[in-house]
Amino acid sequence: MSPTREYLYEKGFLFSAILSGSIVFLIFAFMLIMGLPLFKGNQVVALIKNDWLPARGVYGIYPMVVATLAISFFSLALAFPLSLGCAFFSGSIAPPRIARVFRKMIQIMTGIPTVIYGFVGIFLLVPIVREFTTSTSGLCIFSASLMLGIMISPTLILFFTDSLEAVPKSFLDAADALGATRVQKLLYVMVPQAKKGILAGLILALGRALGDTMVALMIAGNAARVPESLFDAARTLTAHIALVIAADYESFEFRSIFACGLVLYAFIALMVLGVRWIGMTNKR
Amino acid sequence: MKKQLVLMMVAGLMGCMFWTQGMVLAGSLDAFKNEKGTIKVAGGTAHIPVMKEAAKQIMTVNSDIQITIAGGGSGVGIKQVGEGLVDIGNSGRKPTDEEIAKYGLKPVQWAIDGVAIVINPKNIIRKLTGTQVKDIFAGKIDNWKQVGGEDKAVSLYTRDEASGTREVFWEKGLGKGEISSKANVVVSNGAMKTAVAQDPYAIGYVSVGHLDQSVAPVSFDGVEPTLESVKSGKYPIARGLYSMTKGEPKGLAKKLIGFLFSPEGQKIISEKGFIPVQ
Amino acid sequence: MLDRVVIAFSWISAVIIVGAVCAIFGHIILNGAGTIKLSLIFGDVAPLDALLLKRQVLNGLFPAVIGTLLLILISVMWAVPLGLGTGIYLAEYAGAISKKIFNLFFDILAGIPSIVIGLFGFALAIFLHKNVSNNIGPCLLISSMALAFLVLPYIIRTTQVALEELPREMRLTALALGATRLQNIRHVLLPRALSGITTGVILAIGRCAEDTAVILLTGVVAMAGIPHSLMGSYEALPFYIYYISSQYTSPEELLTGYGASLILLVLCIGLFSAAFLIQKRLTYITLYRA
Repeated sequence: MSPTREYLYEKGFLFSAILSGSIVFLIFAFMLIMGLPLFKGNQVVALIKNDWLPARGVYGIYPMVVATLAISFFSLALAFPLSLGCAFFSGSIAPPRIARVFRKMIQIMTGIPTVIYGFVGIFLLVPIVREFTTSTSGLCIFSASLMLGIMISPTLILFFTDSLEAVPKSFLDAADALGATRVQKLLYVMVPQAKKGILAGLILALGRALGDTMVALMIAGNAARVPESLFDAARTLTAHIALVIAADYESFEFRSIFACGLVLYAFIALMVLGVRWIGMTNKR
Repeated sequence: MKKQLVLMMVAGLMGCMFWTQGMVLAGSLDAFKNEKGTIKVAGGTAHIPVMKEAAKQIMTVNSDIQITIAGGGSGVGIKQVGEGLVDIGNSGRKPTDEEIAKYGLKPVQWAIDGVAIVINPKNIIRKLTGTQVKDIFAGKIDNWKQVGGEDKAVSLYTRDEASGTREVFWEKGLGKGEISSKANVVVSNGAMKTAVAQDPYAIGYVSVGHLDQSVAPVSFDGVEPTLESVKSGKYPIARGLYSMTKGEPKGLAKKLIGFLFSPEGQKIISEKGFIPVQ
Repeated sequence: MLDRVVIAFSWISAVIIVGAVCAIFGHIILNGAGTIKLSLIFGDVAPLDALLLKRQVLNGLFPAVIGTLLLILISVMWAVPLGLGTGIYLAEYAGAISKKIFNLFFDILAGIPSIVIGLFGFALAIFLHKNVSNNIGPCLLISSMALAFLVLPYIIRTTQVALEELPREMRLTALALGATRLQNIRHVLLPRALSGITTGVILAIGRCAEDTAVILLTGVVAMAGIPHSLMGSYEALPFYIYYISSQYTSPEELLTGYGASLILLVLCIGLFSAAFLIQKRLTYITLYRA
């Protein structure tokens, strides 16, 4: 192979890396440019702290920010203990054969399309929630959080299990030599070692919950107001984008969905930085 | 020899059948023969059943024509056709003069439709006054007991902001009164019907064309939302269904809109529960 | 005591998650299995006529299935060369600092919600429509590009990790024998990393097949038939499921939604299982790099 060709290939690889990297900027830039008219005067503050009352010409995204945070935190609050338990189960408690089957099942679960979670949510979960809670329609934060919690669990479980199993075997042997039980080994050797992995997994799962569109759009009820209880209908930032995309391209209303995009972008960037920071402290 | 004769007869008969079938299908659909190309349609969700059926008939006689149909709501229909993203925009409200002037729209009304207030069939209420409806949607009445029903909280359903159905209901049904922000928001007439059919304490509003057994219409100030009452103008929450093009319609788009005014088109419109306009 | 609590807690968690999975699968299979017939896909058109595009299928899932397959194909065509090149660059050429920066970028890209990528695709389509050509709007081309952005991080990540994990000796042998860097990558490293790279591609295919939010904003419609060009609108399975879930007009129509769900479920699970079969630590690799 000639040196020129070698050189061309190297530049080609570099070019594709730059191209891929620039996408991250491109997306950000588009959100910013489309949302730019919002950044004049005090509009930004109004945008973030106002309610969404299009009939009165008030286009704030505050209710959506609150709903997004509420739904992601509740789903995480459900998924975290569940996933930790499952990770204990597959990483240590369950008999090896069951653990293997269990793990296969969890892996398969990661392949379930999000729209299926929404679909099953509408026809299976929502009628049950309607029957047994104060939510009259069944379309509420609770339903969405529950479904979302189940949706993000497989990722969390696999992440946790991988973190638990990354503990060096010598540590486990040492614990065995001291006569530790399975649970003692798990709690005092594996978990402390895997703590950072668990935290990182948690942040990443939060990112997935924040970014989900279909489950929230299909079963959270989409009412654009600050929810007062778990059983109120609510609209997430993602669902808001999907609903308002319809509106006038020139209007303030339409511009405001780019603000939603920016807020989501910012959440995610912060999370990624958080995970990196954890990773860095891990190395030391 | 006999066998061959029978075969020939059978073949001839089948040929005739196909031929006559072809004849029946033809007529207004003749216009689409030897045509080729795509028509993009978007907008009002009340229009979708009619548009879909029309598209199916057209695409059956001529598979070189491709018709794509998207929903999105009236607002989307007007904007997208105005921006030139689609060929035909559908809207369940008359586009404003401003919109018409800005984009050079040519709206055509091909049906009259009412917006019916609907509840779940299990709910015993069948009539509401205008004021009651206003108060229910504003959130002032939040229990069915207050209008003579069960002691159960009202669960409100409304449409998204791009909806023409919402616009018309808000204007003529609520007198531009407030719609509570507590209301669940659904994105189409179909979705509204589905939601109300599943929720025993729901109240919402759909295009009269979408009414069926799964939901119960409520009389509004004593007038039942039926085809007749809408047609006669007795039922006040009525509107036109419009299709529009940017500039004068031409080519396939013109033919598609024309088809809606043909006997076959009018038949589809009435079958889907709307009142065709000549 | 603590032992017992932890053991009980683990078992309960496991039972809950198994129960949830059974409920989801059971619900879809019980309702959907009965609908799986040729007519679900082809309606009243003969399958061969539909496949040869002689007649348009107007009452079946055929256009949605083809739409989804086209989306996958075109998106992967964008994403694989770009992702492969980027992965190779990061693993084999990049310096420590640029690698760090690029890794951060791709972590962010991997985290961006799909609806935001969809919004970007939509804004891009409007921008191109206004500034470049009136013929461009939300369409198959825009959707496939946006989906490619969505799955790009998976391909980059798996390629990079597959290459980086190769043993040092393997990396050095060919070079010592006089091979150039490129020859070494092409003839020694890439073949060894192939299985890892394959998982990335499979995963990307799976994401393209299941994602709804991106296509929702970039050109999927309720009825389109088989798209005639890249500039056309199209139907897709996940959108069909979403559409039916809110707008079904009869119990029969709802059942086709279950049928579509079952098809999509089997497709995606098949893809993800295959990916996991090849690379067991997939979640870790695709989601997390310290």
